[in-house]
Amino acid sequence: MKKYLAATALALCFATSAQAAGELNIYAWAESISPDLIAKFSKENDVKVNVDSFTSNEDLLTKLQAGSSGYDIATPSQHFLRVMIDQGIIENFGANKLKAYENIEEKWRNQWWDEKQEYSIPLAYGTAGFVVNTDQYKGPTDSFKYFFEPAEELKGKIALLSYPDEVIGAAQLYLGVPFCSEDQAEMKKVLDLLMAQKPFVAVYSSDNIASRLASGEVSVHFWWDGDSLRARKAGSPVKLAMTKEGLVGWMDSYVIPKGAPNQDNAVKFIEFMSTQENATEQMNFYSHSSPMKVIQEKVVNTRETAPELYPDVPITFSRTCSAAAQDLVTRVWTQLLQ
Amino acid sequence: MTDSALHIPAETVRAPRARFWHDLSFWGLLPARLLMSFALILPIFIIAAVSVATRGAYGGFTWDFNLAGYSQILFNEGWTGELEFTPQYLLIIGRTFLLAGATTLICLLFAVPVAYFISRQPPGRKAALVYLVTLPFWVSMILRVYAWMIILGKDGTLPKLLETLGFPAGMSFMFNDGATLTAMVYTAMPLMVLPVFASIEKLDGTLIEASHDLYGDRWVTLRRVILPLTAPGLTAGAILVFVPSLGAVLEPALMGGGKQMMMGSLIQLQFGGGRNWPFGAAIAMTLMALVMLFLIFTALRAARREATP
Repeated sequence: MKKYLAATALALCFATSAQAAGELNIYAWAESISPDLIAKFSKENDVKVNVDSFTSNEDLLTKLQAGSSGYDIATPSQHFLRVMIDQGIIENFGANKLKAYENIEEKWRNQWWDEKQEYSIPLAYGTAGFVVNTDQYKGPTDSFKYFFEPAEELKGKIALLSYPDEVIGAAQLYLGVPFCSEDQAEMKKVLDLLMAQKPFVAVYSSDNIASRLASGEVSVHFWWDGDSLRARKAGSPVKLAMTKEGLVGWMDSYVIPKGAPNQDNAVKFIEFMSTQENATEQMNFYSHSSPMKVIQEKVVNTRETAPELYPDVPITFSRTCSAAAQDLVTRVWTQLLQ
Repeated sequence: MTDSALHIPAETVRAPRARFWHDLSFWGLLPARLLMSFALILPIFIIAAVSVATRGAYGGFTWDFNLAGYSQILFNEGWTGELEFTPQYLLIIGRTFLLAGATTLICLLFAVPVAYFISRQPPGRKAALVYLVTLPFWVSMILRVYAWMIILGKDGTLPKLLETLGFPAGMSFMFNDGATLTAMVYTAMPLMVLPVFASIEKLDGTLIEASHDLYGDRWVTLRRVILPLTAPGLTAGAILVFVPSLGAVLEPALMGGGKQMMMGSLIQLQFGGGRNWPFGAAIAMTLMALVMLFLIFTALRAARREATP
C-alpha cells in the first residue's frame, strides 16, 4: 500500500512539473466549446488550455473594455463584435488569409459586423424566441402575440431573460418597430407592451432555464434555439415557437482581444476548430447551427431531427445600436423593472 | 560615570527625532497601510472620478468633467422628449433601503435569543454551537441561495410538506419579495449572531440579579440593563448586516425573479447593457454616501449614549 502511495506521489510530482509548452486562455459562452476538441487540441499542440465562461455579451464587452483581461480568444455575438472593432479592443489577425476563412459558408462571409473578415471567424449561429412546455400549454404559438399578449391561463407562467437585448428585439419584431429605433414614441409602445405583459411574468432570469421550463415552474420561456433542441432531446416536452413575425438572430465568432498574450496559439486554435471535421464535431456538441462547411453525413441535427435549427420564418440579426437608441432600450428596461 | 550619565538623556532626547522609517511600527504597519490605500481608498477615488467623467458611446468613458451621471438620478428626458423629474431611481433606492432595513430587523429579532441561548451553554457546547453558526460560510453563497430555491420552489420541500398536511398541491413560494427577504435574512444571519453573541457573552449576570434585587421587572431589566450593555454588539451586527444587504444582487435576481430592480442590479445594468459607466459610478457613489450617512448617524448616537450615563 505504502509503495502505491509513494508511486502516486511521485507520479503527481511529475504530472505537475511537466509543463505544457504554451498556454491558451479562452473566454466563451458557458459550455459552448466541445471539451473533447479542447483536449485534442491541447494534446496535439502541447498547449495548456484554460476556459472561462461568460453569460452575457455585456459582461464580455465590459471585461474587454477594462483592458488586459489576459484572454487569448473571446466569442462575442455579431452586434458586440462590431462595437469591439470600432473601439479597437480586438486584434486584426488577418482572418481572411487563414484556411479557416475558406471553410466559412460563402453566405456567412464578410457580414456587416466584419466586412473584410479581418477580425473574426464565425463559430455558431442561431435564433432566440419563445419556447413552450407542451404539456402545460396547448395553445397556438405561431405569433409573438401569444407571448406578449398571453392567454389568461398563462398568468404567472411566463419567463423572460434578465437582459433586455433579445427580449426587446422580439417585442420590436412583433410591433414592427425597427431594431435600434431612436424614436421615443415607438419605444414607448415597446414599454407599454412589456408593462402589459408583466403581470403574466413569473421571473426575468437567464439562469436555470432548462429546469424551470421542464419542471413546469413556468410554461413559456424566452430562450435560444439550440438550448431548446438540447432540452427536447433530453426528454423535456418543449417546443420552439416559429413566430410569423420572425426570430431574433445571433452569430458568435472567435476574436482575439487586443494584446492577447498567446496570439499564435489563438490563431492555431481557430484554424483547428474550423476544419470541416472539427467544425462538424463542434456543431454536434453545441447543438446550434454552424456557419462553416461541415461534413453533411456526420451532422446529427438535421432538418428532420432538429427543426429548431432550420426555421422557415425570417431571421433578423440584432444590430449595433447608437448610444441614443441604447439609452431608450435601457430606459424601457429600467421603467419596466422600476 | 559623568559621561554615561550625560549619554542617557542625550539618547532619550534624540529618539523622537529619529526618522519615522527607523521606527519598527512603521514597517510593521506598512502592509496594512498599502492594502488600505490600494485595495480600499484608491478604488473609491477611481469610482468617484468615473462618476464625473463623460460616457463613451459604447461603454467606457472619457476624462471630460461631466455631472450628467448625478443629474440623471433625478432628472431624465421623458417620453415626450422634455427633461422631467423621474422618481424611478429614487423608487429603486428606497426599495433597496427598505429591504436592507427589514433584513436587519428580522436578523436582530432572531439573533438576540439565539445568541443568548448559546451564551448560557457549558463551554464545550458553546464552542460547538458558535462553530455551527459559522458553518454556512464554508459553502458558496450562490449554493446557499439555490438551496432555498429547492426548498421554496415548485415541488420543493416546503410545498411538498404542506401538501401532505392537506394544503392544495403545486404551491410555490418563489419569485416574490418574501422569498428575497428569506434568502437575505438567511445569508446575513451569522454576521448578526456572532457580534451579538460576543457582547451577550460578556454580560455580567450579577448586574441582572442586581436589577431584580432593585425591583426591576423583566421588561425594565431588559430595557435598562441588558440592552444598554449589549448595544455595541447589536450596533456592530446591524451595520454588518445592513451595509452588505444594500448591495445585494443575487437574492433579488434568483429568489425575487428579478421583477423589481435593486441598486445592485441597477448599477450592474449601467455598466453592462446600459453602456453608461459614469451613471453606474454615480449611483455607486450615492449608495456609498448614504451608507456613510447611516454610519455617522450610528456613531453619533453611540457617542451620545456614552456621554449620558
